[in-house]
Amino acid sequence: MALLRVDNLGIRFGAAGEAAPAVDGVSFEIAAGETVALVGESGSGKSVTALALTRLLASPPARYVSGRIEFEGREMLQLPERELRALRGSGIAYIFQEPSSSLNPVFTIGYQIREAINLHRPEIKEVTGEIVRALNTVGIRDPEKRLNDYPHQLSGGMQQRVMIAMALACRPRLLVADEPTTALDVTIQKQIMDLLKELKQQSNMAILLITHNFGLVADFADRVLVMFHGRIVESGATVEVLRNPRHPYTRALIECVPKLGQKQHRLKVIDYAGIE
Amino acid sequence: MNPPEAIHESYTRRIWRRFHADTMARNGFRTIIVLFIIAALAPFLANSHAIVRVAHGRVTFPVFPSLEPIEWRFLLYVPLAGLAWLLRRRLLTRPWRGAGLLLAVIVLIEIWLAYHHVVNDPSNDRDRPATFKWMPLVAYSPLETASEPFLPPSWTHPCGTDSTGRDIAARMLHGARTSLSIGFVAQSIALSVGVTLGSLAGYYRRWLDIVICRLIEIMDCFPPLLLVLVAISLTESQNHMFYIMVVIGLTTWTGVARLVRGEFLRLSNLPFTLAAQAGGAGDLRVIVRHILPNALGPILVVGTFGVASAILLESSLSFLGFGMQAPTPSWGDILNESRLYIDFAWWLAFFPGFAILITIMSYNFVGEGLRDAVDPRLRIK
Repeated sequence: MALLRVDNLGIRFGAAGEAAPAVDGVSFEIAAGETVALVGESGSGKSVTALALTRLLASPPARYVSGRIEFEGREMLQLPERELRALRGSGIAYIFQEPSSSLNPVFTIGYQIREAINLHRPEIKEVTGEIVRALNTVGIRDPEKRLNDYPHQLSGGMQQRVMIAMALACRPRLLVADEPTTALDVTIQKQIMDLLKELKQQSNMAILLITHNFGLVADFADRVLVMFHGRIVESGATVEVLRNPRHPYTRALIECVPKLGQKQHRLKVIDYAGIE
Repeated sequence: MNPPEAIHESYTRRIWRRFHADTMARNGFRTIIVLFIIAALAPFLANSHAIVRVAHGRVTFPVFPSLEPIEWRFLLYVPLAGLAWLLRRRLLTRPWRGAGLLLAVIVLIEIWLAYHHVVNDPSNDRDRPATFKWMPLVAYSPLETASEPFLPPSWTHPCGTDSTGRDIAARMLHGARTSLSIGFVAQSIALSVGVTLGSLAGYYRRWLDIVICRLIEIMDCFPPLLLVLVAISLTESQNHMFYIMVVIGLTTWTGVARLVRGEFLRLSNLPFTLAAQAGGAGDLRVIVRHILPNALGPILVVGTFGVASAILLESSLSFLGFGMQAPTPSWGDILNESRLYIDFAWWLAFFPGFAILITIMSYNFVGEGLRDAVDPRLRIK
């Protein structure tokens, strides 16, 4: 049985009949322990889909116009607020694009991880030990000392590690990584992705990776969903999609990626007229 | 640049250090502390009764029986607050026990005050013979008509006397309590109302924001003094100190509310708010634990400026004759009286005016210092 099943999801912003749909008839499934990449350009509806999974979009302006989101057999769009809150963080956890502003600037990182643990795993007595363990697993050295650091005292890569530690401390079944490395430089990107891969192997956690970086997708994901103008235009096993993309948008998107050793005067630009 | 050992300091520590580096702010803060101590000790600084009196082989403390309940409160609660602050670590290790202990002490004090009988003794210890007596700095009570009217400042009356022969110095020392506590309590009320409404408007937006913003605009249409005058004239319990505090507080919260709303609008768009919600935090938790701490700096700054304007507003009220009840001293009240005799009794206007000036200036320096201290773009040693 699928861990997450999204069926014909439709989301609009603003008044009825006025705005174009941000997400239009999106359906996909994620099995337990699977890594799925959601790829698309800015504004294609990737992040909106991700936030909709736990109803994080402020409503209004967002309206869920159609569809179902089933997580572990529970209908997320109908779930009462209380149960939804319990699932946020412990069922589906998020890490976001900008670690520097996703951490609360006025609290120490230890305090913030403590809050997450207290909220979702109240049965844990030795919270400090658990925080140290969480920081250890994401490869932060001297966690006992780092506990009392404020976010601004850490580098971007370290901040993202802390975000991951905080997300994992609640033992989620699905981790939604919304462009987790976009704000980081390339070497740190690699470190963070390697870390995620390693952590995934240790637990049976599924990952929904949202990105526009095909390099990450090839290296990381079992399956790919390509999103364009609020619709999923192509999906399949990563190797399959990358090797012979069927939809013209996917093809265009892959062609945009500059290749090493290939002389190119001009980077390819997506020709929208040819797609529609 | 920050010294290396400053890297691990906390947010509050950092602000305190930056605040402390500002000479004007530091001195303003010290002045306010001194003023509060003076206010708390007023009955021992100006009283017609001796603090210690030895006569016929008996040692008595004539000051204490004449203390009003409000004076006892000042006398007991200010040290209690100081003690609690010093022992905060020990009290916080077991928060429930600490809070219970404090509450028990407060209840005990209040019960004792409820049964406490104030002795109203019109006599004084100035001329009464004794083997030894220790008189307060100013040997007159604020309500006592003990001397000639309109005596200019002298050694016996350092600030002169008023139209009925009451000592101005004594009235000023006791009036400090009125002015300072009105500023403090009124601004606390304004802050609680402003922060609550402002955060609700900024966080939930939509119709709640519209309603609260219109309310703010309606309140802002009227000069605060006018609102306070109307509110005071509408009630029976005129001139009651607590009532004046409440009225000032409930009419001056709009500035705070607008600021807090703006901060919440800004902060709730930042990713950490979304991250907190994604982590399963409810609205109340996001507002109080995640967003509010980030808005605390600016709130603190307008809070201090607000205290100054509340004191000023109370003085204006007293000056217009709507303030404290006639015999109760307050700086504005003394200033009000001076108006009639300004052509020959300059001391009536000078001393209370000067006291108000010093207090307002101190609060403003503290506010400016705080504003600079919380602004990370300003580099302070």
